[in-house]
Amino acid sequence: MKLVLSDTALPLDFSQQADASYINLDELKIATCIGCFGCWTKTPSKCVIRDDATKVYPIIAKSEHVIYVSKLQYGGYDLPMKTMLERAIPTQQAFIRLVDGEAHHVQRNVPLKAATIIAYGNICQQEQAIFERLVARNAHNMNFASVRVIFTSEAQLETVVMEEVAAWKKS
Amino acid sequence: MEKILIINGSPRAKKSNSKQYGELLASYAQLESETVVITKRNHAEICQKITEYEHVVFVFPLYADSIPATLLQFLIVWEQHLTAQTSRPYFHAIVNCGFIEAMQNDVCIEMLQFFCQKNKLEMGSVLSIGSGEAILGTPFKVFVQWKIRQFARSLTQHRFKKYEITMPLTKKMYIKASTQYWINYGKRNGVTQAEMATMTIE
Repeated sequence: MKLVLSDTALPLDFSQQADASYINLDELKIATCIGCFGCWTKTPSKCVIRDDATKVYPIIAKSEHVIYVSKLQYGGYDLPMKTMLERAIPTQQAFIRLVDGEAHHVQRNVPLKAATIIAYGNICQQEQAIFERLVARNAHNMNFASVRVIFTSEAQLETVVMEEVAAWKKS
Repeated sequence: MEKILIINGSPRAKKSNSKQYGELLASYAQLESETVVITKRNHAEICQKITEYEHVVFVFPLYADSIPATLLQFLIVWEQHLTAQTSRPYFHAIVNCGFIEAMQNDVCIEMLQFFCQKNKLEMGSVLSIGSGEAILGTPFKVFVQWKIRQFARSLTQHRFKKYEITMPLTKKMYIKASTQYWINYGKRNGVTQAEMATMTIE
């Protein structure tokens, strides 16, 4: 399963491909996580907020190849992507395990992923460096077996995404 | 005399550990303080209030390795209010993550530093807390109190510093204790350990 999760509209159509999804977060209604731990301790694996996020995190969970497309904000994901990633915690258990000697949550049925993160905007070197460190941390918590970060401008975004998707099709 | 505005950036707000960390800070601070909680509707009001304070302390949990969306949303709004004429308070933070390694907060702290640099704010003291979900309910609470006292003093004395604290446990002991913590949490909701450990999603 392959997923392109984006905070902006892209000219992608995977309707003829059963094994690929494209989700534009800009078209969805997703509230911020309220930190209630309901998805861990009340209704395990189900978020208590029944909005569009509940359709997205199962797809994130089952995808083995993901491309996340997000504008940057202070060296991290901008609000739409950050909100969605926080709402994806039903894919994990409350319980803790060690990953490379560090404490992290146990994953539910989530395969290891090959991730490509495309960060766009007017990004300085310092912000790039912070984001790379953030994605390296995410790799532990989001089950990335491998991860690549690509920085680009908003103007070049479509071209960069289309190249990555084309590379997927060849692989 | 200088004043501190404590801003609770936790999505859990009134039920949060951040609330308790903020209360400890308010009780130890030798400066006058006020606490506000970020909600969806009070961003502009808080931006206005900040101009009356010399210190702002953001207290919040680590979410998905970085700043929680609730606080990120506020920072984006605050940035728009920070004109060349706006008075700039010292920017301090108390960040807590549930994991035992306080260093898991480091990238988030770098993001705050970047925000400060971008907006010509002076970054002050930071307290980075590991095992922050549970530590207040354990005998190790005294360590947190001790660090928050030091943090509070650093604001009064303008000797800004980064502090760190976590439970003094081995990882093995921490995992055992955290497993029991979550089992008890589920039990209070009538949910068993096996149910909590389901591998099915949705």
